[in-house]
Amino acid sequence: MPLLEFKGITKDYRLGKTVVRALRGLDLEIEEGEVIAIMGPSGSGKSTLMHIVGALDTPTDGTAFLDGQDLQQLKEHQLVTLRGKKIGFVFQTFNLIQTLSAQRNVELPMIFQGIRKGERARRARELLIKVGLGDRVKHKPNELSGGERQRVAMARALANDPEIILADEPTGNLDTESGTPILEMLKKLSVNDGKTVIIVTHDPDAAAIADRIVRLRDGCVVAVNSCGVEGESGVPTTGRDVEGSINEPSTLGTTTEGGDSHA
Amino acid sequence: MLKDFLVLAGQSIMHRRMRSWLTVIGVFIGITAVVALISIGLGLERTITDQVASVFGVDTFIIMNEDAFGPQAHGPGGAEEYALDLATLRAVEGVKVAAAVRERTAFLRGPPRSDGTPLQGFFPVSGLSPELITEFESFTGELEVQKGGRLFDVGEEAVTVLGSEIANRFQASVGDTVLVAGEGSAELSLTVVGILIPVEEDEGSRGGFAAAMNQGQNQDTIYVPYETMDLLWGPAKDVLITVVRVNPGEDVDEVADRAEEILNARGSEISAVTYTDINEVIGTMTSTISAFLAGIAGISLLVGGVGVMNTMFTSVLERTKEIGVMKAVGAKNGHVLTIFLIESGLMGLVGGIVGTLLGLGLSAVASSVIGRLFGVEMAVVASPTLILSTLVCSFVIGAIAGLWPAWRAAQLPVVDALRYE
Repeated sequence: MPLLEFKGITKDYRLGKTVVRALRGLDLEIEEGEVIAIMGPSGSGKSTLMHIVGALDTPTDGTAFLDGQDLQQLKEHQLVTLRGKKIGFVFQTFNLIQTLSAQRNVELPMIFQGIRKGERARRARELLIKVGLGDRVKHKPNELSGGERQRVAMARALANDPEIILADEPTGNLDTESGTPILEMLKKLSVNDGKTVIIVTHDPDAAAIADRIVRLRDGCVVAVNSCGVEGESGVPTTGRDVEGSINEPSTLGTTTEGGDSHA
Repeated sequence: MLKDFLVLAGQSIMHRRMRSWLTVIGVFIGITAVVALISIGLGLERTITDQVASVFGVDTFIIMNEDAFGPQAHGPGGAEEYALDLATLRAVEGVKVAAAVRERTAFLRGPPRSDGTPLQGFFPVSGLSPELITEFESFTGELEVQKGGRLFDVGEEAVTVLGSEIANRFQASVGDTVLVAGEGSAELSLTVVGILIPVEEDEGSRGGFAAAMNQGQNQDTIYVPYETMDLLWGPAKDVLITVVRVNPGEDVDEVADRAEEILNARGSEISAVTYTDINEVIGTMTSTISAFLAGIAGISLLVGGVGVMNTMFTSVLERTKEIGVMKAVGAKNGHVLTIFLIESGLMGLVGGIVGTLLGLGLSAVASSVIGRLFGVEMAVVASPTLILSTLVCSFVIGAIAGLWPAWRAAQLPVVDALRYE
């Protein structure tokens, strides 16, 4: 059974009297331990998909199962518990709390899970050492470089030992030098720790570490791991790794459907 | 978890130090005013009740016309005369000693003057139980007579002490006789045993009944034993005041109630007033005034509360993204609500602590100024109840002011909050 199973997902936003359909019957399956890159032009529904995958939002229609749980059946507080325990977020803008030290930022998800102080501090330090910031635990975010901040965010994402790491443009605000270690870390999480890593990105280097690339356009999956299909969209593909890692084309039907609806 | 939230809230307050302090100032001005006024009110009450206690004693009660004291009182205290059977009162269980004052205007004839003719006319006559002087010195103060004279003793009847002014007009001295005409054909010749020493007005501040007697307006009165009044005018219907002391160990309120019941059943219309009753009246008065003043000061506290609300709204707006992050990493709505409520409550509490200290300081200064102005020792009251309730109250005010902003923060949809720039 896939870790994540989305079928016919639609998501509507109401802007005044206009209804904007951000996702149009999207199908997607993600297996445990995979690294998935979600790519697509602005407005293609990447962020919306990420919000639903991250249990930050619920779909308007369709079925969304995360680890066997129907997201649409869960109440707000159950969604909170789910994302607190199973999902770790990494954001483009790091989103660290400026008033807290690196260690306290990493402790934050554990505070909300009611983990005791001693254990929390120990784990936070361990994680910071793991991301190479053992000497920066007491530093506030504004005393750290961009790359260091993102590493603190990585440590925070791992605080409650989640099954899924959801990274929204993790290298978007970083130069290559500081971005590469982040991508390496994400890849290792999958390879060494068996975590499922979902990266929403424009960055071909980020996509390059993925087992599969899911391409979105106009709220539909238009391709999975195919380099050529999206040629006209202007989204560059790396050509590396991707071709060899095509799994099953289970969402190709959607591709056609998506293509049709787009046409 | 609550401790962690407290730390999170504290760090947020410290991060916005300037704004937090300005908000706290808004709160502590209000708290200072409220604490100072209530504290001064309590000090005033304590000062008055202490003075009453020092004059009155806790084993003593007084009897007044029922219209002169209590909720139905319509005249100035003690101005109304009443009927009283002193013997019945003395027989009431628990009464140790009772002394009364009654007053009349009577026809008097003095001793022959230097021209051989006596002065005669209508003058005020005051009948005092000798016990008033012997037993209630703390109540009456010390009566002073001129050299060679004395006050009358228990059991004496045909004696009088003259006010200095009337003594001058009669040209009377100790050993002379004054004739008093009573009701019907009753009349008595009274031997002058003493003449009062006149007291300057400004010395009257030492207080007490004696001081009032020694003052000018009472120096034209002649004083006779209370029982002598009975001989001249029969049973008393003109008593001004009665002072009663109860036996040691007796409950003064119980004895007072008993006396009141027995006397009123015999046709008196009196109120027995104890130390407790007077304190109650003083307490009601001072608390009403305090509450009124504190209410006015409370308006500034309200303004402080609005300040907290304003700050918290700004804080919620500024930290929208932070709220989104907290929710994304597993904070429930209740967690966010609690963090923000603690934050606003803390600002209220800090305002409360600073305000209480300043308020107590202000009341100490004010008490010493008032004390100096009116020549009394003003008590400074730092009531633990007041301090504790002020601190709880300031935290609650802060939290209430933060309730709406905190609720708004908690309800922010996580996706919108994360997207907020």
